[in-house]
Amino acid sequence: MESAQLFNFATVAYLVSMVGYISYLAFRNEGIGKVASYVTYAGLVLQTIALAMRWIESYQMGIGRVPLSNLYESLVFFTWSTVLIYLLVEWKYKTRAFGAFVMPVAFLALAFINFAGISTDISPLVPALKSNWLFYHVLISFLGYAAFGVAFAVSMIFLLIDMEDRGPVRDLGIGLGAMAALAVIGYAMAAAGERMKLIFWMGLGVLVLVWFLYLVMRGAKNKPQVYLFWSMCVTLAIGLMVAMGFDIVYLNLTHTLQPGESMKQHLFKASFLSKSLVNVVVAWGLIAGLFWFIWSKGMSLKKLLVQYVPSQEILDDVTYRMIAIGWPLLTGGIITGAVWANSAWGTYWGWDPKETWSLITWFVYAIYLHSRYVRGWKGTQMAVISAVGFLAVIFTYLGVNLVLSGLHSYGGMN
Amino acid sequence: MEKQDQQGMVEVVADKIWKFFSSVKLAVVLLIILAVVSVIGTVIQQNQAPEEYLKEYSLTTVQWFETLGFFDLYHTWWFVLLLLLLTANLTICTLERFPHAWKAMRAPLKPLEDDGFKAVPYKKEIMIKGGMEAAETAALRALQGKRYTHQLTKEQGVTHLASQKGAYSRMGVYVTHVSIILIFVGALIGAFFGFKGFLNLPEGEASAVVYLRNEPLWDQIMDGFGISKSPVIHDPRGGVPAMPLGYYVRTDDFEVDYYANAGRPTGMPSEYWSILSVYDLQQQKVLEKRIRVNDPLTHHGITFYQSSYGTIPNATGRIVLNVSQKNSPGPGETVVLMPGTSVYVKSIDRTIKAAGLAPFGMRDAATGQVQYYQARNEELINPTVELEVYRGKSLAYKTQVMKVDSSEPSMPEDYRISYVDYWGARYTGLQVTKDPGVWIVYAGFIMLCVGPLIAFFGSHRKLWVRIQDRKGQAAVLVGGSSNRNRLAFEREFNSIVEAIAK
Repeated sequence: MESAQLFNFATVAYLVSMVGYISYLAFRNEGIGKVASYVTYAGLVLQTIALAMRWIESYQMGIGRVPLSNLYESLVFFTWSTVLIYLLVEWKYKTRAFGAFVMPVAFLALAFINFAGISTDISPLVPALKSNWLFYHVLISFLGYAAFGVAFAVSMIFLLIDMEDRGPVRDLGIGLGAMAALAVIGYAMAAAGERMKLIFWMGLGVLVLVWFLYLVMRGAKNKPQVYLFWSMCVTLAIGLMVAMGFDIVYLNLTHTLQPGESMKQHLFKASFLSKSLVNVVVAWGLIAGLFWFIWSKGMSLKKLLVQYVPSQEILDDVTYRMIAIGWPLLTGGIITGAVWANSAWGTYWGWDPKETWSLITWFVYAIYLHSRYVRGWKGTQMAVISAVGFLAVIFTYLGVNLVLSGLHSYGGMN
Repeated sequence: MEKQDQQGMVEVVADKIWKFFSSVKLAVVLLIILAVVSVIGTVIQQNQAPEEYLKEYSLTTVQWFETLGFFDLYHTWWFVLLLLLLTANLTICTLERFPHAWKAMRAPLKPLEDDGFKAVPYKKEIMIKGGMEAAETAALRALQGKRYTHQLTKEQGVTHLASQKGAYSRMGVYVTHVSIILIFVGALIGAFFGFKGFLNLPEGEASAVVYLRNEPLWDQIMDGFGISKSPVIHDPRGGVPAMPLGYYVRTDDFEVDYYANAGRPTGMPSEYWSILSVYDLQQQKVLEKRIRVNDPLTHHGITFYQSSYGTIPNATGRIVLNVSQKNSPGPGETVVLMPGTSVYVKSIDRTIKAAGLAPFGMRDAATGQVQYYQARNEELINPTVELEVYRGKSLAYKTQVMKVDSSEPSMPEDYRISYVDYWGARYTGLQVTKDPGVWIVYAGFIMLCVGPLIAFFGSHRKLWVRIQDRKGQAAVLVGGSSNRNRLAFEREFNSIVEAIAK
């Protein structure tokens, strides 16, 4: 038996458990819920053994390294930590309601690996990575990411439960209109040269920031706006995943990657950044459709969920707990990274994009904690900050490697 | 009168400034601003050559960015000012709140009066049949079971139990804040009194200086004011400034190991290392160390990190060979020669000529044929020497020796020649830093690991129990409060009440 087979079994287990948790919500059957939990436990055990075996296999190959050092392994480990933390929450809070939201993330991450054809080879390490710090740094960081992931899932449930109604269709119209306008302006400015493109991105950044600030400050009084934000987050999560999958399929059909060429250069080239206008329009049409669908069906999901999930007070508490676990772990991840960098290069902090983004994430969650402790905020606003924090986590983990450039090696998709 | 008013003004302003800096709102605003501006520096690549920027942006954009400091954002005065403001805010917040927290932590346990019981968030009254004594024992056992420290007082037939735990957790937030201040102070000390430099040192060469990426700020300021002369040597032609070490550092040897695939090097380095030795200014050897990536050498507060390597263009090194008898186990004889030259080896009565040297040769294990490969930048991946062996003036045979060989090279006579090193054609790339602040930063790191744990996972919980006699039964009133984690405290409170009632 090889680790690869066990990883496949674990993937299947997570698929079954995902279906199980969703059916548990749909059919309100305790038995199904129990089975889903057992399958998840089994999946976690299989994955743990597989990780250990991969570690041993690396020694048998004469390379001998921790299985935490490329994109494949980091995705596997991210799944592992997410499932672990989820199971802890399930056990501690005695509720299976979150499973239907957390397990899809775990399964999709594993499916993405197979689908994207990310290399599963045990490749040797460059000398800089050969350090005991590698293990601690990655372990701690990813446990932190996983805790934030669970916090995000719970915040999204909170926000949905929190909505009284979705607001007038006019809001959706304004949202879609703004998206369309921004897209048109974006393409026009990008076509007008690098400088205009940069101005566009900066402008968009400021706009998004102002919206976030508005949601945090006034969200509790303008729930339909928060609902738009919720729909946008869900749309983005699904839409970007699908678009990346589409890139990979398209790439495999038309082109083989040359050495030195990475997935990065082909990101969204099949959809949003395609040379063909038809593709671009279809991609945006699909995104708009998805957005409309989520926005209009969200309330039905809420009605279903309300019967299962614990009170809002507990949801808020779980979010806080997860962040109170995630933030010290993120801190530890940053510190171990800094100590390691100092022993390798003599600089504990170099403002490398990855470092900087981890610090930005750290700031966002620091804001969460201060708003909660000192200003006594609760509920809607906190859930929004938690969601924004996780967007920063995702960008730190994947976005930096896909979009920016820096020292952390595992970003290359091949 | 006027003077007094002025003093009043100063006080008012000082008070206002203090209030401004002691607000958590300011902290949140600063965190938001820092988070946002930090993004800019990750989108625009930092510290690139001007040509690189001009490839990407127009000239006016580059000029604008240059003015705003976007190309070295994290070291601009305004970014450092933001960090300073955050530290000032943190310090003043800490000073403002710490005395209260300290008092709350050290406050002696006091029995709670009726008014107090009205104010606590959690309370419950239960009746116990066994009488006062039994109730007291039960309450004490319940509190000790949850590791509360208690104080017992009796007055006018009423028993008061005041208890608490986790008072220390009030310090968690201050440990965290002080740690951040320490890290900032450590970083400042590093910037003022430390430096970052580099040194590319060929095998066999020594240097008494390293080249600076940044000069210690303190030296710059002192030099600027004419107070003391900076030790840094500036090249009048605008070259890289050099920092004298106060000793010599020499590369004795440098080597790279490559990952092998089926016994053949792949060209991907698995490890590289240098043997460095330190000589004092009288040229006496002080120490020697083999450094590799993640394992540096430190001498007099200056640390040398293995960071890169390269082949010196057009340099000629020395080929080091070993000649040993096939049938005797001795260590053999070391032979050194330059490429293209020959040397007479007395022990075997042969002249060995190094006819050629290639950076990357590999032998096909089956045929014994040597193939040569292209090595980028002439990197010595598997140095291979073409040897010609002469008996007197006549050529006896030709063979090849190399660093990593897939099979035995052909050695027709009763001795063996083997490759040892090609020395002197490579340099080791060293990152050299001095950072006297790093230990303060590390102290901050340790506190930053501990502080949040204390703050998040501890809570200062207080419980009061009042036991009164009511018609032969004991009326037990329990009240409690916690500064944090209320839901968890509620559970504990209920379980303690249950335990007393049993």
